[in-house]
Amino acid sequence: MLQCIFLLSDSGEVMLEKQWTGHQVDRSICSWFWGHVLSQGGSSKVPPVIASPTHYLFQIVREGITFLGCSQVEMPPLMALDFLGRVADVLSDYLGSLDEDLIKDNFVIVYELLDELMDNGFPLTTEPNILKEMIAPPNLVNKVLNAVTGTSSSMSNTLPSATASTVPWRTSNTKHANNEVYVDLVEQLDATVSRDGHLVNCEIYGEVQVNSHLSGLPDLTLSFANPSILNDVRFHPCVRFRPWESHQILSFVPPDGQFKLMSYRVANLKNTPIYVKPQFSSDAGTCRVHVLVGMRCDPGKQIDSITVEFQLPSCVVSTDLTSNHGMVNVLADKVCSWSIGRIPKDKGPSLSGTLRLAAGLERMHVFPTFVVGFKIMGVALSGLQIDKLDLLNLPYRPYKGFRALTRAGIYEVRG
Amino acid sequence: MFPQFGPTAASITKASTMVFRIGTDAHLYDDPEDVSIGPLLDSKFDSEKVDALKRLLALIAQGCDVVNFFPQVVKNVASQSLEVKKLVYLYLLHYAEKRPNEALLSINCYQKDLADLNPLVRAWALRAMAGIRLHVVAPLVLAAVGKCARDPSAYVRKCAANALPKLYDLRQEQTYGSIEELIGILLNDNSPGVVGAAAAAFNYICPTNLVLIGRGFRRLCEILPDVDEWGQIILIGILLRYAVARYGLPSRSSVGVSSENRSSFSKTISVNVDALPENRFGMTEGQVDDSNFISLLFSSYVEGQDEFLLRSNCTTKSSDFLESPGLSCGENHDVKILLQCTSPLLWSQNSAVVLAAAGVHWIVAPREDIKRIINPILFLLRSANSSLYVVLCNLLVFAKAMPSLFAPYFKNFFVHSSDSYHIRAMKLEILSIIATDSSIPLIFQEFQDYLKDPDRRFVADTVHVIGECAQRLPKVSATCLEGLLNLIRQESSENIMNMEEEGAVLSQAVVALKTIVKDSPAKHEKVIIRLARCLDIIKVPAARALIVWMIGEYCTVGRDFLQTIPVILQYLAQHFSSENMETKQQILNTTAKVVVCSQTEDMHTCIKVLIYVLELARCDLNYDVRDRARIVSKLLACHVNSQNAEGGRTHPVLNPSLHYELAESMLGRKVKPISHVPACSRFYLPGSLSHIVLHPAPGYESLPKPCSLANVDLHCSLEDLHEEKVTGDKCNSPGSSYTENGSSDSDSLSGSSEKERSDYDSQGPDSNENEGAASVDGGRGNGTSRLLLADVEDMQTSGALIHFSDVDAEYNELNQAADGNGSSSSHLNVSELLSKEKLESWLGQQQSMSEPRCPAEGISLPSTARITIRETDLTIKPKVHKLLDPTSGNGLGVEYSFSSEVSGISPELVCLEIYFENHSTEPLTKISVMDEGSSKSQDSVAQKLEIAEISVTPTQMQGIVPMEEIPCLHPGEGIKRFLHVRFHHHLLPIKISICCSGKKYPAKLRPDVGYFIKPLFLDLKTFVDKESQLPGMFEYTRRCTFTAHIGDLHSERFDGSASSDKVLVVAQRLASEILSNANISLVAVTIPVSVTDAHVKDVDDVSGLCLRFGCEISSSSIPCLLTVTAEGRYSGPLTVVLRINCEESIFGLNLLNRIGAVFA
Repeated sequence: MLQCIFLLSDSGEVMLEKQWTGHQVDRSICSWFWGHVLSQGGSSKVPPVIASPTHYLFQIVREGITFLGCSQVEMPPLMALDFLGRVADVLSDYLGSLDEDLIKDNFVIVYELLDELMDNGFPLTTEPNILKEMIAPPNLVNKVLNAVTGTSSSMSNTLPSATASTVPWRTSNTKHANNEVYVDLVEQLDATVSRDGHLVNCEIYGEVQVNSHLSGLPDLTLSFANPSILNDVRFHPCVRFRPWESHQILSFVPPDGQFKLMSYRVANLKNTPIYVKPQFSSDAGTCRVHVLVGMRCDPGKQIDSITVEFQLPSCVVSTDLTSNHGMVNVLADKVCSWSIGRIPKDKGPSLSGTLRLAAGLERMHVFPTFVVGFKIMGVALSGLQIDKLDLLNLPYRPYKGFRALTRAGIYEVRG
Repeated sequence: MFPQFGPTAASITKASTMVFRIGTDAHLYDDPEDVSIGPLLDSKFDSEKVDALKRLLALIAQGCDVVNFFPQVVKNVASQSLEVKKLVYLYLLHYAEKRPNEALLSINCYQKDLADLNPLVRAWALRAMAGIRLHVVAPLVLAAVGKCARDPSAYVRKCAANALPKLYDLRQEQTYGSIEELIGILLNDNSPGVVGAAAAAFNYICPTNLVLIGRGFRRLCEILPDVDEWGQIILIGILLRYAVARYGLPSRSSVGVSSENRSSFSKTISVNVDALPENRFGMTEGQVDDSNFISLLFSSYVEGQDEFLLRSNCTTKSSDFLESPGLSCGENHDVKILLQCTSPLLWSQNSAVVLAAAGVHWIVAPREDIKRIINPILFLLRSANSSLYVVLCNLLVFAKAMPSLFAPYFKNFFVHSSDSYHIRAMKLEILSIIATDSSIPLIFQEFQDYLKDPDRRFVADTVHVIGECAQRLPKVSATCLEGLLNLIRQESSENIMNMEEEGAVLSQAVVALKTIVKDSPAKHEKVIIRLARCLDIIKVPAARALIVWMIGEYCTVGRDFLQTIPVILQYLAQHFSSENMETKQQILNTTAKVVVCSQTEDMHTCIKVLIYVLELARCDLNYDVRDRARIVSKLLACHVNSQNAEGGRTHPVLNPSLHYELAESMLGRKVKPISHVPACSRFYLPGSLSHIVLHPAPGYESLPKPCSLANVDLHCSLEDLHEEKVTGDKCNSPGSSYTENGSSDSDSLSGSSEKERSDYDSQGPDSNENEGAASVDGGRGNGTSRLLLADVEDMQTSGALIHFSDVDAEYNELNQAADGNGSSSSHLNVSELLSKEKLESWLGQQQSMSEPRCPAEGISLPSTARITIRETDLTIKPKVHKLLDPTSGNGLGVEYSFSSEVSGISPELVCLEIYFENHSTEPLTKISVMDEGSSKSQDSVAQKLEIAEISVTPTQMQGIVPMEEIPCLHPGEGIKRFLHVRFHHHLLPIKISICCSGKKYPAKLRPDVGYFIKPLFLDLKTFVDKESQLPGMFEYTRRCTFTAHIGDLHSERFDGSASSDKVLVVAQRLASEILSNANISLVAVTIPVSVTDAHVKDVDDVSGLCLRFGCEISSSSIPCLLTVTAEGRYSGPLTVVLRINCEESIFGLNLLNRIGAVFA
């Protein structure tokens, strides 16, 4: 059981504490934790589960904010970490995004949420839809009311009926003027290209995101034209397992609003839409860099917002980089970012220049990894196709929309 | 871009953030104390209260202690506004433990809220009530939870389940039984959400009580996919635990297969550690998994690991397990169901659920089915970085046990640039474990890329892993050697910038080479030579030292090497003085080893080198080197001397051969390579915290012993069927209470009282006697007490002391009619129920037969007698408390005791008898008692009064009614006075001051709950009536031990026969104890009557002795009923059950505790 949670800002200041059990955890644990983080050189270097002298600590970092949970007894660590992740999700959903000021400004709502999310160290209500019915998210009307009259309650007076229903993610009495449902395939291409140019690993991680605004209690069935290409799947709790097991059909009662219906993985792709070819040649304390970017196989739609980023090795003291297309920036933390945008028809974008190495170094012996980013609207690179979406239980004909989008996930080219 | 707009842009952003912050609570967080909070809390307006509470919350968030506002906040708990309520709860729960007394005052409000129509209010009230965690209210909370566990709203029931661990945390043993019972009820709930929370409670409170799970195992399995994700995690673990305890580890699971050599087709197998290495059953992949490791792993999973390890050599034991009754397919069916229900969960979005489900398959699934967990686990690698770490930790152990499972998926463990160091290290380790001959080329290619990584620590790890791979797969060792040697040359030729980091890579490379060479040094002779040649370019001390060590260690491996050794030694000797300490020591060792072991032709040179090095070392700055040189020279004295003999230096060598042998054994012998033992031999269940931190975290429970539950379950499954029938219908209407007799009443008695009643009833058949006999016996027994058969009405009229009647029958009747509850506590089995019903129907007949009650022969009747004990017979000694000690009161001693008189002035006043005594030698004058509060006034007391407002409403501020002054008290003289005191609360003391001879002495009057009541005279019938109106929430019980009677029995010598008189004595003693501690009246005493010709029954059993007392709270005239039941034998300590029925719950509880304290 999680005994408490602390929200720490990026400077280690405790913004909030919420105790869930009677055994209160003293704040001093936070200073221990922060000391530990500093000694390890940043929170990314600290493992997410730490055994401190008095407590077991679970930490995740989102947008610079550390969510620190404490427990003194055995509990599944993934449960703790997933829960902290859920807290972060819910808060950023409520507040629009996550940052120190937003949390401080809305600390009462944060408290109310934390109280509802967990009871006595065990998660109570984590379903965002129900939470929103219990505790109203801060919106403009509320704010204005609050500013003008000083009275506005974010607490709802009634228990959301969904808490008792068999579909706890949905309220039964939803009403929409425009009934519509959108299904988006959002895919990420993960690829690793080795130093000698081989495609080591290439796979797609995709999500089926549904945005549903349907009245009543609709029952949807979504089927794919080629479900056999999916390697692994994970489902939103609303998906029924049986139909998927037997016919690979997604049958579900959707929550209201935006949600992630399913995530999937398609492994072992053979090709990437673009290529990035870096070359290094060093001599006498300088290193010449030449990076070429080009289209490998046309996905059929425009490839947008291509970026190439790489971290300069610590032995590089200064750079002189130019490109024939796009902008090159070297940021303060020695990250070089080259934003290309679209690939022009007439020429292949290239980046070239020299890196000066630190005194005494003849050649460069470590090489950076290039992280590539791109976006393709309208295409699911895995080739997954939605066959049809059937709606049962509905007296009306809603509008159905389908979209696809692919962007680069972890696309790495080793230099 | 446009620097001139910079400031404007900045101010615009500033302005826009200001705009965004308008209407939020930002100002409250920034400066919570800019207005004074106190008055706001007392405001009439909810909005102001909300404002104040938010400020308090902000202060809590910032870590300030604002507990001093507690009383003011508590008052607001009664607010109607939900927002105020929520904020108050948030505050209250944070501080309740620090201010228990004030927190108590909120209880009444919760009680009220628990009856609210809005389920949200009920749930909140329950959560808050359970959350304040006070021992005194535990019974109240238990009753509340019991009520909420049957609430129509699933949300409230879920909160009830969550409240159970809070209740359990108070560590009150008397509640444990009822808590477990409630868990059973909640686990049977219809709503999956409730089941999840109940599972969590189960896991926290009684994880070993698997019988509870056995009842509904299948139902729980079926409901599992619908339970919320967090509940699933816990429930999966519980079901697995049950399955293992019940059916053991199936033979076809991984562990079963690994130890299958003994009996090829036994149905189940218990963990069997002594798997022989040749067990290679069922390994189809051609790859051999480490069955020893699997056995070790699984034996760590189950309870009592050490025991199993001990047993590992004892073959008879384990075959016993095998031959224990084989389990039929039907039973294994349960395991199958569990696997079926958990396999869709492998698709869950929650990674903890996936891991938990994978754990079930890992442990109980047949070997060939384990494959299905691979893809889901690999998909988990997509989770956020933090979860990834945990997932990899678990995967590592899976991979170690069955590398073949993951071998084809090696690409998933390739490192990304975004991975953190921990994750990279873990991925490398997994890669090294699952690498096969077919995949290793690809993996090595990948490693090649890693060697160029900017993170040199990671590179060092990679090099290390390359060495391990080469060791595991001898086929690739040649390639590895080449690569590593190249790497060494490359690395050392580089102009190294960061010595430390690069050094690590280099020394790891040498270590890796060493591991490869170690296995077959003869084959790798050339490698050692090449390494030695590298000494010129390698600068890293650690690497150099290791190379030198290798030269010494493998100096005998081959001819070529042997020839080069003298040269190498000369080289080393030359550089000795410029070496690092570490290397110096190794040079010393190596030269000594060479001298001892090698048969090189050029022995002469070697010895010379040794002498030279020893000379150098003797003058070394480092004492460690000097010492080592001394040891070596002593050890090798004979070697050295045989050469030096002609030089004339002779050492007295006593036994040269001994020296030779000593040197040989210390330096020459090859150390037997330590066999590959897993670094940590203890493993924890997959997915547990202990697994990550590598020590058992508190509360870690390993799997129960396989098949340990088998016996228990058999009889329980019978019961199961009945249970299901009974509870099945009930579950359909969770709102209505669980009634047994069909009558429905939403209020129900708490579990403990049910149990008590069933005890009560079951007495009936035991006592084998009738009334007539009883009365005769009673009459003969005691001459002082007259005895007659009488009706209830007679009681007050006559001077009779003892009345006999069939109380129990009446009592039962009344109870049946009144409460209609008697819910089937799950431990009652059907046969018991039947007999109870029979008894009741029979009792009904008995009633209708009515007078004259002629005892029919052969019929057993529960026989008890009712007596009235005159209060005059009882010795009532009110307790005397000290108010002022003569030493501190300048000779004036003051004592007080509570008087049973009721104050004539106001019902809210309590009468005290105060006794003043002059212990000094001088007369004391002008003695009076004053209220400290009224003189000192308002601040503290006023506040307290306000708090007290909730339960006690004071009409006057005055604490005590002024007492007339005592003009003079002579030495040795004593005087008694009555004092009327108004206590603000029945627990809080009031401060007074005693004035004497012009001086003031502060003192505290402590209230006694027992005197806030006045006697209430009832007859038994009204008593029982009233009692039946106050069930459930208004009833509290407590158990204590009573011993005071033992002395009495010994002092008054009875002749052993008249046992009922002894019971009478016990009753008297009990009554007088209670009467002297509380202003209460005795309503009735029911004593069991036994026959002297006791052929059936134990004569000294007092069980059934029951005293009933009545009183009412003097301030509010709320009746308060006390029932005292004794159990046990009077020769020893008795167990006394106190029960209070009172509407005013807090008061009742405190009174109960007060009376309980009498016996303690």
